[in-house]
Amino acid sequence: MAHGPATLAVPLREAAGRRARSRLWRALVLHGGGWALSAVALGVLLFPIFVMLSTSVKTLNEVYQVPPVWVPAAVTWRNFVDIWTKYPLRTYMLNSLIIGAGTTCLNLLAAIPAGYAVARLRFRGRQAFMLLLLLIQMFSPIVVLIPLFKIMAALHWLDTYWSLIVTNTVFTLAFSTWMLASYFRAIPAEIEEAALVDGCSRRQAILRVAIPLAAPGVVTTIIYVFITAWNEFVFALTFISRTEMRTLTVGLYTFIGRWAVQWHYLMAAALVGVLPVVILFMLVERHLVRGLALGAVK
Amino acid sequence: MRLSAQERLAYPLLVPAAALIGALILYPIGATIVTAFATTDKLGRIVGVAGWRNFQALAADPAFWQIFRRTFVWTAIAVAVKTTAGLAFALLLNLPFHGRRAVRLLTVIPWALPYPISAMIWQWTYNSQFGLLNRFLQATGLWPHPPAWLASPGSAFAANLIVDIWIGLPFFALVFLAGLQAISPEYHEAAAIDGAGAAARFAAVTLPFLRPVIVMASLLSVIWTFNDFSVPYIVTKGGPINTTDILVTHLYKTAFQFLDFGPASAIAIITFLTLLAFSLLYARLYFREVG
Repeated sequence: MAHGPATLAVPLREAAGRRARSRLWRALVLHGGGWALSAVALGVLLFPIFVMLSTSVKTLNEVYQVPPVWVPAAVTWRNFVDIWTKYPLRTYMLNSLIIGAGTTCLNLLAAIPAGYAVARLRFRGRQAFMLLLLLIQMFSPIVVLIPLFKIMAALHWLDTYWSLIVTNTVFTLAFSTWMLASYFRAIPAEIEEAALVDGCSRRQAILRVAIPLAAPGVVTTIIYVFITAWNEFVFALTFISRTEMRTLTVGLYTFIGRWAVQWHYLMAAALVGVLPVVILFMLVERHLVRGLALGAVK
Repeated sequence: MRLSAQERLAYPLLVPAAALIGALILYPIGATIVTAFATTDKLGRIVGVAGWRNFQALAADPAFWQIFRRTFVWTAIAVAVKTTAGLAFALLLNLPFHGRRAVRLLTVIPWALPYPISAMIWQWTYNSQFGLLNRFLQATGLWPHPPAWLASPGSAFAANLIVDIWIGLPFFALVFLAGLQAISPEYHEAAAIDGAGAAARFAAVTLPFLRPVIVMASLLSVIWTFNDFSVPYIVTKGGPINTTDILVTHLYKTAFQFLDFGPASAIAIITFLTLLAFSLLYARLYFREVG
């Protein structure tokens, strides 16, 4: 039986070859299938984005060409110059920036202490407060739009940044408190206790120990609150009537009414206006998903 | 009541948040309730007592009931599609192919855009003469004679639904993906050893593990979809002739276009109670499944 090993080796080699082939086949199916399906899904999801990009570099004539063209023959950058110099896009973006920054600051001033208390301290009413936050997270701002409008009118805050800063703050407060609390809870209590033993006051322990250690949560919260304020529509639509106080979303919305025909300008302005938030959003998307699932995803 | 040391520390820390919530949510809810039972002038000032009249007027208004029912149909269809398609999309993103990080990143875009801007982009995309959607459907032969989307009630409602689903889908896909990735591969391997095929593994391992995530995400989405103001308000403006209005756009128009603040507050109360029911359900499930 001198040839025994050799006869055994052939089927073994064949089997190994089959396995390798099937692995290769599997990988091809996985990748090919993954790519093909992704292409279809992205095609659907990004179709309107393509429309925005394509329209933003068309001339007025190409915007109203029948049948519509996919990509303009001669790409024009003129629209971006025009919206920046002839239309108040700059003002709208500046207003949204101020409101977003103001909302973020006010929100953190309220949410950091509240989140810390919920995460670290035992007190009567803690469960009730958590439930209140959960219910507010589900709350429809439009339900209280009328009394909020009256409050802003009574305070003479209509057409001011304050009206939007405080309303945006209160409607992002539940999420940010919840988010920060989950990060504070993840800090080992021993670290803070050590700081307290070393003579830190509780205030210092929060400022110098808890906040730096919860930095990723704080950053995510900042970005989330900023984006929400930047994207907000219905309060800005109701509380603001002077052109120079309009935010980006309402400013662009009024484009439709005033310059109904100029879609190339509207799309160019939309592109400029959304670029910063899309980039910010991509940075924190993973943290946001975890936070929004409120712990349903560990 | 004697306060413990921790309580003396905790309550001052809660003051800013509680003050904001009290002044801008709780007080306005009270004010809305009062206004719903009052008659108002066109500036929204209370001038008399209406009792249940605002509610009775709504109950007698067939247009209101239509909008009420439509809001539920709108929410049910949109959430069902978002949940199913989101799950499919998450399974796709969970396949180990090269480039899925890039796909995932691009998926985020519709979620990141401001609702009103998405609505405007879609409004232009739907344009029956110059829009690229119908151009695409005709050029590819997928739909040789597509409707003028925003011109008739049925297609306008469908058009709004598509936009809402488009905006909401990434949230579902990414939350479900996070849920899928949290399932330890050992469970799948154990099921495979026991001879379970892909479908059986999905039913026996994936779905049960995803259940809390699916429940939480769907309930959140019920509330967001119910509240989606920008899409009907901008894409179709509630039209043609109020056929695509939902409760929140109807409420806004009643208050700020027709200045009927009493009836608008009554609509607000109905919206509030409906949403509160969903929220309490959510809170109950949350504290049971997660908390």
